This record gives sequence, C-alpha cells and structure tokens, in this order.
Amino acid sequence: MSRAAAHHAPDHAKGPAAGAAALLLQILLVANSFIMIFPILMMAAFGFKSTAEIFSKPFAFPDLTNLKNYVTVLVETNFFLYLGNSLLITGTSILGILTLGTMAAYGLARYSFRGNIAIYLFFLAGLMVPLKLAVIPLFIQMRDLDLLDSRLGLIIIYIAMGLPSAVFILTGFLRTLPSELEDAARIDGAGDARIMWSVMLPLTKPAMVIAAIHNAVPIWNDFFFPLVFVQTDARKTLPQGLTAFMGEYTTNWGVLFAGLTLSALPITIVYILLSKQFIQGMTSGAVK
Amino acid sequence: MTTVRTIVAAAAAALWAIPMQASAGELRFWSWRNEDKAVYAELIKDFNAKNPDVKVTFEGFEPQNYATVLSTALAAEKGPDVMMVRAYGAFEAVAKPGYLLELNDQNVPGLSKFPEAALKAETLRSDGKVYAVPFASQTMLIVYNTEVFAKNGVKVPETWDELVDASKKLKAAGVIPFANGTATAWQNETIVGALLSSMLGKQFEADILSGKADFTDKRFVDALAKLQALAKDNFAPSYEGIDYPSSQQLFSSGAAAMFAGGSFEAAPFLKANPALKLDVFPSPAAKAGDQRLVAQYFDGGYAINAKTPNKADALKFINFLASKEFGDKFANQLSNISPIPGVAFKDPILAKVSELNKNSMSYLFLVHFRYQEPSGSVLEQAAVQKMLAGKQTPAEAGAEITKGIATYFAPFKK
Amino acid sequence: MSANLEWPLRRRVWVTFLIVPPLAFMTAFVVVPILSAFVYAFYDWQGLKRADFVGLRNFLDVLGREPWAATTWRAFGHNVIVFVTLMILQNGFGFLLAYALSRQLPGHRFHRVAVFLPVILSSVIVALVWKQFLHPVFGLLNKTLGLLGFGAVTTPWLGLSETALWALILVNAWHWVGFPTLVFLAGIQRIPPDIIEASRIDGVTEWQLVSRIVWPLVAPSATVVFILLFIGAFNWFELPYLMSGLEGSPYGSTDVLGLFFYRTAFGNQSSGAQDFGHGSALAVLMFVFIAAVSAVWTVRLRRREIELS
Repeated sequence: MSRAAAHHAPDHAKGPAAGAAALLLQILLVANSFIMIFPILMMAAFGFKSTAEIFSKPFAFPDLTNLKNYVTVLVETNFFLYLGNSLLITGTSILGILTLGTMAAYGLARYSFRGNIAIYLFFLAGLMVPLKLAVIPLFIQMRDLDLLDSRLGLIIIYIAMGLPSAVFILTGFLRTLPSELEDAARIDGAGDARIMWSVMLPLTKPAMVIAAIHNAVPIWNDFFFPLVFVQTDARKTLPQGLTAFMGEYTTNWGVLFAGLTLSALPITIVYILLSKQFIQGMTSGAVK
Repeated sequence: MTTVRTIVAAAAAALWAIPMQASAGELRFWSWRNEDKAVYAELIKDFNAKNPDVKVTFEGFEPQNYATVLSTALAAEKGPDVMMVRAYGAFEAVAKPGYLLELNDQNVPGLSKFPEAALKAETLRSDGKVYAVPFASQTMLIVYNTEVFAKNGVKVPETWDELVDASKKLKAAGVIPFANGTATAWQNETIVGALLSSMLGKQFEADILSGKADFTDKRFVDALAKLQALAKDNFAPSYEGIDYPSSQQLFSSGAAAMFAGGSFEAAPFLKANPALKLDVFPSPAAKAGDQRLVAQYFDGGYAINAKTPNKADALKFINFLASKEFGDKFANQLSNISPIPGVAFKDPILAKVSELNKNSMSYLFLVHFRYQEPSGSVLEQAAVQKMLAGKQTPAEAGAEITKGIATYFAPFKK
Repeated sequence: MSANLEWPLRRRVWVTFLIVPPLAFMTAFVVVPILSAFVYAFYDWQGLKRADFVGLRNFLDVLGREPWAATTWRAFGHNVIVFVTLMILQNGFGFLLAYALSRQLPGHRFHRVAVFLPVILSSVIVALVWKQFLHPVFGLLNKTLGLLGFGAVTTPWLGLSETALWALILVNAWHWVGFPTLVFLAGIQRIPPDIIEASRIDGVTEWQLVSRIVWPLVAPSATVVFILLFIGAFNWFELPYLMSGLEGSPYGSTDVLGLFFYRTAFGNQSSGAQDFGHGSALAVLMFVFIAAVSAVWTVRLRRREIELS
C-alpha cells in the first residue's frame, strides 16, 4: 500500500504490516458474512425445490417460478392466522409497554420527589430478571384471572417483561431534554399533562422507536410463553404455529423450508429497511 | 393485589370476550390426531345425520404436547367436552384427579362387551371404574416391502437367524435392511417391542410383574445383545442421527426393506407412496417352533369432561363413538384396530394384524411402567438409545432400567 | 406514593397517576410471581392444587435425591459447558469481528447488517433450519463436507452424544454472534480516535493495539455482554427443546436445566403430570444462582473497568 493511499485509508493504517492485518480482517469479515447469509439463502432456495431435489441436488440453482411449496404453506396451513395473532399480540404489547413505560419514565425523569430513585432502581432490577423462571406462578396467576389459553394473557406477560427496558431507555432520554422547554410552556399557561403530551412527548419519539424495537423483536420471536400458555390453534403465534405445521409436513422438506422462509420474511424485510434502528434498538441497554 | 387482579380481569373480560366454554348444543372435541381431521369431519357428519342439533368441533394438537396441554387445560377448567385420552399411566394422570366422567353400561350401553384388555387400559386402578371408550389397539411388529423382498429373493424370516441372514442378503444387494434410526427417543421403545417380543416371551412378562425377574434377566439382556448386533450393520446409515420422519421416508421411498414399528405405520407409508406394496410379520423367534408374538397396547379412549355443561350431548356423541357404525369407518378409513365388538377389517393388513393380536404380549414399558416417574418408557428409551450408540453394554442398559423402575415398583425392591 | 409535599394537589395527583399504574403492573406480574415461586417451592403440589407444606424437601430432592439429583447436576454441568464455550466462541469471536468492523474497511456497512441478520430471527426458525441442515444423510452440512472432500468426517451431528451439545452450541453462536459484535463495536467507536492515532504513531503492533488499548477500553460493554450471556446460558431452553427434544436426546447428552425444569413442572411426553413443587424448587435455585453470580460478577467487572480506565 502506498503512503498516499494509506493516508486516505479510513483506518489510518500505516505500513505493510498494517496492510496485511487489514487484509486478514477483511477476509474474516467476508467469510463471516458468508456464513451468516448462506444458510438463510439456502433456506429460501430449498423452499423452491421438491423434497427429492433438495436431497439429490441441494446446490443447484432453484427454479424461482416453482411456487408450489409456498402456495401450499399459504393455502393449506394456518399461516395467515398465526401471522395475524403475532401482529396482534406484538402490536398490543408494544402499545402497552410504551404507554406504561412512558408514564413511569416521564414521572421519574421530569419530577423529583422522595422515592424517585428507589422506584427507578425497582424498574431497573426488572431488567435482570429472567421471567421464564417465574412461569409456574404466572401460570397459576393466569388461571386465576381466567386468562390461560388467551392472547391477552400473553400480552400481559409481555408488557411486564418489556416495562423495565422501556422505563430505562425512556427515562435516560427524557432526562436529557432541557427544562427550558417545560418552563416556557408553563409560562404560556400549559398544565402538566398538556406539557407532557404536546411539548415533551413529540421530542421523545426517537427513544420510543428504540424502546419499541428493543421489545418487539423478542416478543415477535418468542416461543416459550406461547408454548406454556396457548393451546388453541386459532390463538397461536407464528413461531409456535410453525412447530405445529412442521409436525404435519415432517417428510416434505420443500414445504418445511417454504414455511420457515415465509415465517422469517416479515421481520427480515423490516430489518433490512430499518437495520440502523434495529441494531440500535436491540443493543440498547447494553450500549450506553 | 386483589384489586389489581379484579381490574385486569374486568378489563380482560370487556376487551377480549372470547367464548371459551361451548354453549348448549356445542361440543369441543380434542385429539392428538391432527392428521385424522378430515376423517373425523366425515364421522361427525354421520353423527349429525342422527343428531342434527349437536355441533361438534374437532381440535387437533401435537402428540408430544397433548398430555401436558390436556391435563393443564382440565386443571384450569378450560378443558374440552369430549376428548381423546391415552391409556394406562398417562390415562390415570387425567382420570385420577376426577376430571373425567365415569362410563358404564348405563350411560354407554354395551361398554362391558368390549374386550377386557381394552377396558383395563381405560380403568382407574384405584376405583376399578372405566372412564373412556377404548378406540384402538396398536401392535408392534415388522412392516416390510414385499416387492423388495421378492426382487432380492428374500423369504419372510421366522427365526432371528433367518432375520439376520435376510438382512445380510438385502444389504449385499444395496438395500437398507431396516429403515430404523434411534435419534427420536420413543423409536427405541418401538424397536424393542417390534423385534424382541418373541424372544422375550409371555413368561418373561409374568416374571417381571411378579418380581421373579427384572431387566437384568438373561432373556432381556441376551435379546438386547442380539438387537445391538443387528442394528450395527442393518439399520439406516448413521442411524444414531436418523429421526422418525427420516426413517419413514427411507421406508416409503423404497430405499429400505423393513421397518420395525407399529401397526400405525402402514397408513402414513401408503399415503406418502400409494404404490408401495406392504405386509407385516411378527417378531422372529429365537429358534424354529417357538411361539411368535407381537407386542400390543391400547392407544387410548374417548372420554367426557366431568364438568361439561353439555353432559347429555356429550354422552350422545360418546355413544356414537362406541358404535359399530363408527368403528367400521374408523377402522377402515384410518387403518386402526378398533376394539368395538363386531367391527370387520376390510383392509388385508389390518385383518392380518387383528389375527396376529391373538398371540400377543404387552408392549411392556408403556403398559406397565408409565404410572410413576421416572417412567419405564423414558428409562428404556434412554438406555436402549445409549446401547445402540455403542455407549453401553446390554447388561448395563438392563441394569439402568431396573434401577430406575425399582425406585417405585415394589417387586423390584430387594 | 410520596409525592413532594410542597406541590399543589393537582400535581401530586398527576405524578401519582403517572407512576402508580406501571408500578402496580410490575408488582403484579413480575414481583408477585417471583416471590410466589419462592413460596410454592416449599409445598407439595397435586396437579395445580397446592397441598402440604413440606419445608425444604423439594430443594433437598432436586439437589441430593434420586431420581432428580443426578439429572440436576448433569444438566448444570452442561449449562456450564455452554456458558464457557459461548464466552470464548460467541463473545471472543464477536470482539474480533467488532474490531474488524471498526476498521471501516470496504463493505463494512454490509458486513454489519449481515452479522446481525440471524439475531433478529426467532429461535424456532434457527433451530428448525439447522436441524434439517445437520441431518446425517440429507443435511446441507454433510453434503457440503462431502462435496469438499471431507466425506470422512461426516457424522450424525445431533445423534451422537460426543457432538450433539457442541452442535447446539455452534448453532447458538451462529444465531447470536452479531449481538456481542455490535455491542463491542459501539464500545470501540466510543474510544477517542486520537488515543488510537497516538499509539499508532508510537509504533505499536496491531495485536498490542487490540490487547492493550482497545480491549481495556471496551470493558464497560464487556460487562453487560458477559452478564447477558451468563443469564442466557443458564436459561437455555428453546434451541435444545426444538433441536434435541424435551429429554435432551441422545440419552440426556444435551439436557440442560431449562429442559429439566420444564419437564418437571409441566410433564414429559409419557406422562403429562405436573410437579409444580419440584419445578418451583428448581426455578428458585436457578434464579438464586443466576442473581447471586451476576450480582457478584457485575461488581467485580465494574471494579476492573475502573482499574483499567
């Protein structure tokens, strides 16, 4: 690498040793991306093949016009039903998490009162609690509330699971908003509720998006709680429904892979469109 | 706390008014046979021809989750009105807490005419009462591809040595002798039942139950040793990693000649490959002339939720499920050995299985050792899986099973 | 609620309105269940009905009496293997990838999106896809190995006790490696560029730069990633459940505490009987273990962060 080129290289690498290191790192990245993406592409490709073709010619380029397996999944299974449930459950849970999370975060971030820090720490402690381990009491609780085998039962659990991270993310953000904004609105005669709703919350949207993604992905993907709490087919979520129809088509690999591909599709598309927000959202809490 | 619960419950009820309990004239019917949905729809139509005002909804579940789902739902009083229940130990798990309605000749006329073994499978041992109408028995035997046998000049084996020879011949001809694999745990139980019953013998079963023998007995250990040797060369390639669906695939595609399994295999094989020519034979004997046995168990029964609000309708439906009219269709469309008296089997394989059942012993672990934990089936599956992987000897496998069962089975406690 | 007493009543009501509903929700559906688990573990259970108080019996059973104890300890051992291996594999490799990404080599934006792609997929999809790919005869992995001339090393990966757990660990690493990668990347990007620039001028090697400067400075990110992995490894459930079944096939070689807890609490395949007493005892032990270790560890790691910075 010439000195001039090195000068423009963004990593400020100098000399042949640094160049060799950069080359090694580049190879590492390319190899890793291949390992990450190749299985996913193969999954989609197998969806276009018959079982016999998957067994005999797994690496052959698929005939992309052969939509038979995909049609089977869409027409003969409850794919849309499961998809609808997942949307409903994830959407309602996020709405609940954001509503309750914003309320708590706003109260904690914008008002100082006795017990403020204790309450904040109380929510924070929830971040480290693996709620899975409380599944037996939750089960009894849901039975007492008559919410076993219901979507609402799941939504309640997901809201409880998501609240701590939402409070954490939103409180952190709301604390950074300057109090001058509030004071100005107050001089204009606005009350507490009006200030929150019209002045502060519109500014909080980016943090809300982060909190929403942070929770939506694990809720959308969850398998454990539906496994325990939902039995009726009509109320199953996509991941859980997937295992049910895998049972029906165990020997038809083409349909299996088509089903897996279709289930992965919605979130993958959203991820590719919003990768920056996704990465920020999912790593928030870990990244300060 | 209570206030929170009340508020949430009220909100839940208002927002999410999902009808849970079926209203009058409606029955929820639960099953683990999702694949039989279409036939049940037809059978329900037959029922409706005579009972037009009762609406039956069939709901199917995954077999491996069914026991958990059902007992959980019943405990939570969210259970169905009519349901399939398993037999023996798994049946007791739902019958014992009083979830099921007692059935007898008064509410199901003719019930006492069912075969004794069938009723026993659905009887609670502690009160001697029947809580389900038995629907099918399953028989462990060997399914084989008659065309592959004929093409390679292989005769149906009668003794173990003949079976080994036949396998060698098939293998030399490039055919996988047995489609079986051991990756799916329960397959290890069916393999033992299908292949070793004749060598174990009815006396072995009696000795186990009386405590005269346990699973370290020479008969059991020797039979396992023979199985281990057979599997090594003649099961599917890398059989430790072959799961049940893969085994089914190997057999139905014609790549393998035999399948050590149950009478329930035939229907899915033929569905996957209608051109397949099948027949069955019982486990081979140690030496010529010994009694040939199959291992039999009852699969389950139809039961009524003791708390159903529609008891009268549920009984109507159960009586239909116990009728010969139902049994004929159930047997011949779903290839099941129905225990309903008078049912005729049109299908030749079914007729043959029903004939073979006359010389049968129990499918040991399921029938006798599923009443307590650790269940004999779980122990046997793990021990045999380990043995077939070459990780323990037949004697060690037998000892492991015995040790686990001895924790609750009095005759083994020494 | 102890609102500021100098506030007008309206504001006190307002703040109470903001704080109490979320607080009540957390209490009802997180605190109460967790505390109940502790209570439940001291009782015998008949199905879903709580029966006699049995003191510590359930705990002593799962820790020291058969048929529970051997399974508990075997599963715990597997969890430890999973955690240690993933620490090296997932977090170690993640750090390496993060460093590579931080160099902003050509295509780094693409690689960043690619490494995170599996992270957004459900464990169910990952487990089922890899289960088929690891199939001994028709699986993509063995086919690929065969094609590359490594036919001799093909094996039923999920069927052998020697390989099954490792296969699951590798699949988990494939699924999650993007997470530590991007957390570390954010940590590296926060290092002031002049520190790196200065050390380069001093002529340190690439390795010295990574080990003496970059690694210590990302310590805060490392703390969170380590703790999250620890919690995840000892809660491991979905992947083994979906890929090797409720009993941890073959013959328990992939059995972990999560599976044992689930089948104790909700019943196994051959009997659907619930045992909430022993199940709760297991859950409580797991909870206490996770909480204690993560608390002690967090404090120690934080101290290290301070020393390093």
